[in-house]
Amino acid sequence: MSGEGRVMKGLEISEELVRRAKAMGADEAEVYYLKARKLEAVFEKNDLQVPKGDSYEGVGIRVIRRSRQGFAATNVLSGETLDDTLAAALAIAEASPVDTNHVLPDPAEARPVPGIYDEASERLVLEDVLDLGRRFVEAARAYDSRVTIDSASFAAHISERAIANSKGVRLSERASSFVCVGMAFARDGDDISSFDAEYSGSCALAGIDPEACGRRLADKVVKALGAITIPSFKGSVIVTPYAGDELIVQPIAFSSSAENVQNGRSKWAGKLGSTVTSPLLSVTDDPRIPAALGSASFDREGVPPEPIELLKDGVLGHYLYNCYTARKDGVRSNGRATGTDQTTPGIGSTNFVVAPGQTSLDEMIRAIPKGLIVNRFSGNLDPVSGDFSGVVKGGHYIENGEIAKPVKEVMIAGNIYELFAHIVAVSREVVTIGEMRLPYIQLEGVSVTGK
Amino acid sequence: MLDLLKSAMMGAPGYTEIRYHRRVQTAIDARNGTLKRVERRTLAGAGVRCLVDGCWGFVSTTDVTSEGLRKAVIEASDAARAGARLRRDKARLAPARLGKGEFVYQACVDEPGIAEKIQVVLKAEQRMREASPLVVGSIVVYTEYADEKFIVTSDGAEAHIVDRKPSFHVFATVGRGDERETGAKAWGVTGGWNDLMKKRDLDKMVDEAVALAVRKLDAGYAKGGQYTVILDPQLVGVLSHEAIGHTVEADFVQSGSVVKGKIGEKVASDLVTLVDDGTMPGAAGMVLVDDEGVLAERTVIIERGVLRNYLHSRESAAAFDTVPRGNARAFTYRDEPIIRMTNTFILPGDSRLEDMIAGIEHGFFLREMGQGGQADSTAEFMFGVSEAYRIEHGRIGELVKGITISGQAFDVLKSVDAVSSDFELDLGSGHCGKWQPAKVDAGGPYLRCRVTIGGRHE
Repeated sequence: MSGEGRVMKGLEISEELVRRAKAMGADEAEVYYLKARKLEAVFEKNDLQVPKGDSYEGVGIRVIRRSRQGFAATNVLSGETLDDTLAAALAIAEASPVDTNHVLPDPAEARPVPGIYDEASERLVLEDVLDLGRRFVEAARAYDSRVTIDSASFAAHISERAIANSKGVRLSERASSFVCVGMAFARDGDDISSFDAEYSGSCALAGIDPEACGRRLADKVVKALGAITIPSFKGSVIVTPYAGDELIVQPIAFSSSAENVQNGRSKWAGKLGSTVTSPLLSVTDDPRIPAALGSASFDREGVPPEPIELLKDGVLGHYLYNCYTARKDGVRSNGRATGTDQTTPGIGSTNFVVAPGQTSLDEMIRAIPKGLIVNRFSGNLDPVSGDFSGVVKGGHYIENGEIAKPVKEVMIAGNIYELFAHIVAVSREVVTIGEMRLPYIQLEGVSVTGK
Repeated sequence: MLDLLKSAMMGAPGYTEIRYHRRVQTAIDARNGTLKRVERRTLAGAGVRCLVDGCWGFVSTTDVTSEGLRKAVIEASDAARAGARLRRDKARLAPARLGKGEFVYQACVDEPGIAEKIQVVLKAEQRMREASPLVVGSIVVYTEYADEKFIVTSDGAEAHIVDRKPSFHVFATVGRGDERETGAKAWGVTGGWNDLMKKRDLDKMVDEAVALAVRKLDAGYAKGGQYTVILDPQLVGVLSHEAIGHTVEADFVQSGSVVKGKIGEKVASDLVTLVDDGTMPGAAGMVLVDDEGVLAERTVIIERGVLRNYLHSRESAAAFDTVPRGNARAFTYRDEPIIRMTNTFILPGDSRLEDMIAGIEHGFFLREMGQGGQADSTAEFMFGVSEAYRIEHGRIGELVKGITISGQAFDVLKSVDAVSSDFELDLGSGHCGKWQPAKVDAGGPYLRCRVTIGGRHE
């Protein structure tokens, strides 16, 4: 295969640097290698802004010496700069205090995840990406002449990553992703809709349909025309998958991060095995879904992750660990170390999958006498306390079981952890947005402030 | 390096710009008794931008050999040519004063090594934990960008730039029972470690952050409403940058910001002159040559209350038939230059701060930026305030907490009735975000004006 030689090169560089770090005095060493190519077409105000290309290659070097950690990274892979980077990592370790929780993982088998690399990406040039972006913008505009694309981008990412450490970890993997994203509004005379966004992403070039994505975006903003103001009330809110990232995924990922649990910022510290949300909520973090954008056979530290049930019928099942936090808790890392060659390992989720419920979206709406559909949320959510407030974009008012009107100038506020206990319905329909698979989720008792 | 870049663009069609940028970034992060993170990152490469037939093409690469650069130039010009068939609104470039030669922003002497910096950060974090038994969270973070750039354009820029921008953030959380309060201090400069330490005393900032958090435990809330207030130089900076500055960036003007078509109109009190100036020595937004190779000059945005200029790149300056003054900036070599502020500030006036306070019957004295905030292209803003004191009968009184200020920024500037003779740039610690980050600074004198205070009990 044409790419094989390059992956080998990444692993060879990594192993060579591990050997050199040991020779310079490191007790343990880890080198993370990344080679990436990005092609992107950026559009603004219905017009092409700029085609962009980027080629990148870099390494991050982590050393441990007498239980002190040092880290330095460089994307200049010349001999002199690599020597300087190794020396910097060791100098940082030397100047740092002892922390026995700094450990590197032992080798483990990492089974490849099928479908995360599309060889078609190797033949792609900027002109192809320009054309895909043009098809997205033109489809949205052709759907309805009242639509303006405020900004849009079509991007292709092709990456090869490798990791080697002094305990024998030696892994490499290639991945590709194709992402189409746009932000638009509709104008009909003096009536201007609120902005809305649409997204389509895939590991395979053939898996993305820019025309369909453009039409979905156009349909959303045209439906947001003729928005009315509504009076304030406290009641039902349907969080759509697009609003789910901020309102559902981020607080759950934050509170299940072992780092936040250990430093006292997570509400879910000490709650393993306890009910923390409504029994209607079940969440799996699944790094092994074929052809999914969040899939990977090993994490930033070379640990192969397996699917874990974060929430099972509202009961907290797991925290997300990297090696440092796992050592602190006396457990094994479950392979949720995140980061790049330019950073030390952090913690995060992979493919965040909220299990579908029993109710169809139509049934959910029909059962609501008075409520609001939140298409997009623009505001702040403090993941420590759970307090949030912000403006609803592309919202629709529900009256007597029907979508009555699009709304404007509406804010929602509440405490997300309290509302998690008041989930009254989860839809059968699930939408995949990047690394998230989310149903529509109905919350009860949200403060809706209108005019 | 300049010769290598120049030879790579030889024979390229249209306008070509190559920017080699090598950044060494250091971050030291100590919190809650542990050294959480020390990272040193070298990020280097070339950003190549071509303008062919009215369309841009941008290619960035880590391969800065002559073949690698040559390949990037060909890719960028091919992409621009292909894009030109799609792009309707053709880009043109305004003539500009271009940078040639060496630009060393601030000479750094006696820069300590990484070991000494780590020790200073660890000691400051320890000092924070020991400053009060009420401290439950302690964070001290040092960040530094050491940059070297070579910028060459096909129409004559040839600049070599050496720049260093360090900053400190200290953040204390105190607790009593279930109550939590925070106190934060942050500052940044263009220069070395010693310049940063000269700007503020680290120990004093740690002590003040803890003391403020502790005092907030016993502070009450204010009643919301319209008040006459004093804004300190940092809050004047926040207002100038976030609420006014973004609306005068020419790309936002083109998208229909609130000041579109208002050049020559009265938009603020006669007492207000607001400028953006990359040449301020030592300020964190110091830029002597921007990333299009244009020499920085002061832009007068508002002159005695009248709107005079927007902020421009070479492309927007051509569209507005004016001259660019060094506001096209890119964060790393992988970013293309876009319109950004540098150091944005209001010029000092001739009032004395004491007299300004004495003239307030019932209002607030407001210091430094708190948490949260937003502003948009209508100049409507809302910001958190770190430290707020009541003013009653011309005297500063007790501390109140949970204060936000909001309003329409131009209305606030119209209400200004006194401008102090003090002056400080004090917003150099963080980043401005607009698709890519940028180091900026902002500030000015103390202003007396009218704002809406958001309190807890409305």
